Amino acid sequence: MIKIKAKDVDVFYGKKQALFNISLDIEENQVTALIGPSGCGKSTFLRCLNRMNDVIDICSVKGEILINDFNINDKGCDVVRLREKIGMVFQKPNPFPKTLYENVSYGPTIHGIAQSKQEMDEIVETSLKKAALWEEVKDRLHEPGTGLSGGQQQRLCIARAISVRPEVILMDEPCSALDPIATAQIEELIDELKKEHTIIIVTHSMAQAARVSQNTGFFHLGQLIEHGSTDKIFKNPDNKKTQDYITGRFG
Amino acid sequence: MNKNKEQLLNKRYKAEQRFRLYGQSAIFMALLFLTIFIFKIFSTGYSAFQKTWLIVPVNFDAELMMLDENPTKQDIEDADYYEIALQSMWNLDPNANEDQQNQLKRMVSYFFEREIKQELLKDPNLLGKTKEVYLTASDDLDQVFKGNYPRDLPEDQRRVSDYQLKIFDQLVANGKVESKFNISFFTNADSREAELAGIASSFMGSIFSILVCLMIAFPVAVLAAIYLEEFAPKNRFTDFIEVNINNLAAVPSIVFGLLGLGVLLAIFQLPRSTPLVGGITLSLMTLPTIIIAARASLKAVPPSIREAALAMGASRMQTTMHHTVPLSMPGTLSGTIIGLAQALGETAPLILIGMVAFVNTIPGSPMDPAASLPVQIYIWAESAERGFVEKVSACIMVLLGFLIIMNLFAQIIRHKFEKKWS
Amino acid sequence: MPEAPHTVKSYEEELKNLNANIIKMGSSCEEALGKAIQAITTRNSDFAEAVINDDEKIDKYETLIEQQVVNLIALRQPMAIDLRETVTALKMSSDLERIGDLAKNISKRTLLLNENLPKNLVDTLNRVSTSVQKQLKSTLDAYLERSAPMAVNVWEGDEQIDDLTNLCMQEVIKYLKENEKNLEDGTHLLFVTKNIERIGDHTTNVAEQIFYLVKGEYLEGDRPKGTVPIVTGEK
Repeated sequence: MIKIKAKDVDVFYGKKQALFNISLDIEENQVTALIGPSGCGKSTFLRCLNRMNDVIDICSVKGEILINDFNINDKGCDVVRLREKIGMVFQKPNPFPKTLYENVSYGPTIHGIAQSKQEMDEIVETSLKKAALWEEVKDRLHEPGTGLSGGQQQRLCIARAISVRPEVILMDEPCSALDPIATAQIEELIDELKKEHTIIIVTHSMAQAARVSQNTGFFHLGQLIEHGSTDKIFKNPDNKKTQDYITGRFG
Repeated sequence: MNKNKEQLLNKRYKAEQRFRLYGQSAIFMALLFLTIFIFKIFSTGYSAFQKTWLIVPVNFDAELMMLDENPTKQDIEDADYYEIALQSMWNLDPNANEDQQNQLKRMVSYFFEREIKQELLKDPNLLGKTKEVYLTASDDLDQVFKGNYPRDLPEDQRRVSDYQLKIFDQLVANGKVESKFNISFFTNADSREAELAGIASSFMGSIFSILVCLMIAFPVAVLAAIYLEEFAPKNRFTDFIEVNINNLAAVPSIVFGLLGLGVLLAIFQLPRSTPLVGGITLSLMTLPTIIIAARASLKAVPPSIREAALAMGASRMQTTMHHTVPLSMPGTLSGTIIGLAQALGETAPLILIGMVAFVNTIPGSPMDPAASLPVQIYIWAESAERGFVEKVSACIMVLLGFLIIMNLFAQIIRHKFEKKWS
Repeated sequence: MPEAPHTVKSYEEELKNLNANIIKMGSSCEEALGKAIQAITTRNSDFAEAVINDDEKIDKYETLIEQQVVNLIALRQPMAIDLRETVTALKMSSDLERIGDLAKNISKRTLLLNENLPKNLVDTLNRVSTSVQKQLKSTLDAYLERSAPMAVNVWEGDEQIDDLTNLCMQEVIKYLKENEKNLEDGTHLLFVTKNIERIGDHTTNVAEQIFYLVKGEYLEGDRPKGTVPIVTGEK
């Protein structure tokens, strides 16, 4: 089933066009990886999906992005509610400099999800459990989140993202600052999370894209060159550019 | 070729050594000046914290005070002490002629009758008895006792006469002169008499000015900084504002004084010489400093925190208030304190708005006339009496202490919070 | 289709080296097969000895290629075309090694055969061996050229080999039936024929791999088979 349908998306930074005519369908409860060289627009595209590009004054987005058949670029779309539905995990682990508990409870608090302290405790616990962090931190929920290791911090960020039960989770190079063990833990987590969430991950590691995703899209110079099932892309891509990129023959 | 290389290497090492030497000597110079300055201030100023007292026997003669046998408290309050005070001093030399009696009277401060009165108020039973009372020595004798007064000058060039010195030396020999910690320096307002002058008025004036300045400058500056940094669109207009805020920080303080004079006093008719006007004027001066500090610390909050909050669905306002502003507070606060410390040391604008007036009362509110510590230094430094020289240094010491405490406070705030969140 | 060079030059070198080794191993096999056939048709035991001795070289190539492939996978994590190159090289080398073994087996049996074999039998044998030899040659050419159509040609040609093998088998059986004394030679000849056919099968395997290498897809459909399969015992 198609969860997100992008149609002819163009993105401009001032006069410079960053994305050209991107049309991409994203399957529900699957992991879609976006790969491509630096500056190819894959992160820009990812940030279109929860309208994080709004923060940048000079950035303008054209085209339709339908999530559950609702165009999020419509004037009537409320950004705050959109971002409740679409969580995001960033490249560098960025927990709030507050306690672990406050980190995870922040989303439910501002969106008024929990009715009582008890309910909030449950949300925090399930989110941390889903992020495979509960066992490691259950005794120090009230210590600052910045005291964790990099991998734990990133899992905390994932727990924070899933605390509001988003339908889609966007991940912008979530493992680029982590060591291989922490990376493996996150990858395992992604595999678990896709049962309940649709995941879109931008990654520089092709091996990672190959490991975690079911679908892969290859971006180059602001264009979507090829999009298809991951094993097709990595075993026998249709496009010469894709092949050159994934085999390391670029430029 | 190889030799060249070696020479070059040696040259580079030598250049580095020379550079270190320049740096070290610069630091040495700075420390030397600082030491000289502090030594000078302390060596002149420390004696101001001591005060010389003459111990004089006083006969609380009811008759001379025109009191009944059993006076009420009000009676004691209203009694005339001048006569017994004069008598007590004259008794130091029963053979004194009229001129000498006059000189005896001037050996203590003009305040002496009130010191005697205080003694009686403390213990009404003294009435009709004789007791040794501590009387504040005149500023000149104070200086003599502290050894700051050149005795070998010819008599007509001194303010202390040979006769006074003779009596004083007798008192010293009898152990009737004592030096004690000078509490009145901290509790008295300014006075024309150096031995009685204190910093209470100017200290309170400074505190009130700083409080007014803080209450106006801090909220305005922080709100301005938050708006400029987090909400305002980045365009030419905001760039223009930014440049001008930076320019404002460089405007000489006396210009702000003129502004206070022209606008606050002339147009708004606010009371002259008050910490209120002083504080408002200082807040204008401190505003750009705090805005710049607050913006810098807002900028230093990593964008990733803002992104994290926004991506969680927080509104811009929530992002700013829940995350950015609390994180920037340590930097903002320490910037504020440093700005206030600057304002605390400011003299020129305060002189222009009239805070240079002679104020011999301790202000109870920002609406009462007051001086401020740096202005007090200026006033005393202008005075001719020898007794004020040490007061100037002592006042500088108090001001420096105040500034050091504030800066220390800024450092502590910064360190404490930085440690917590890093 | 020549690929653009890799950004990492040593990776490029390793892939080229692997490619070159496959080609060298292929030509060694081609040579071994040629000599084995010559040995049996011209009754030249020198050629036979040479084939037997050279087999060691082919085995060494297989080991070398296997090591290179494992290294590439472990250290370079090849993707797409490079991955297919690597995996194909591994599979091709094992097929080629089998071809080498079979040629050696033929030569061993050649040494045991009687000097005088019926001419028509030798002719038939010669025909099937030459076809197989041609097949192997075109397969290696297909590999060199990275040509899928050439690989398909080889694949389709296997049918003819099977037919020729059947014919040859029938000839050998006839020879066996003629005289009881022919029992030993006949049995050897049966194995020789079977070995030649197997070489053809391995060649077809290689052709399939080349097709996968080039296209990234598998050759669809059943492998073409000879018309009368009873004698070979296969379906």
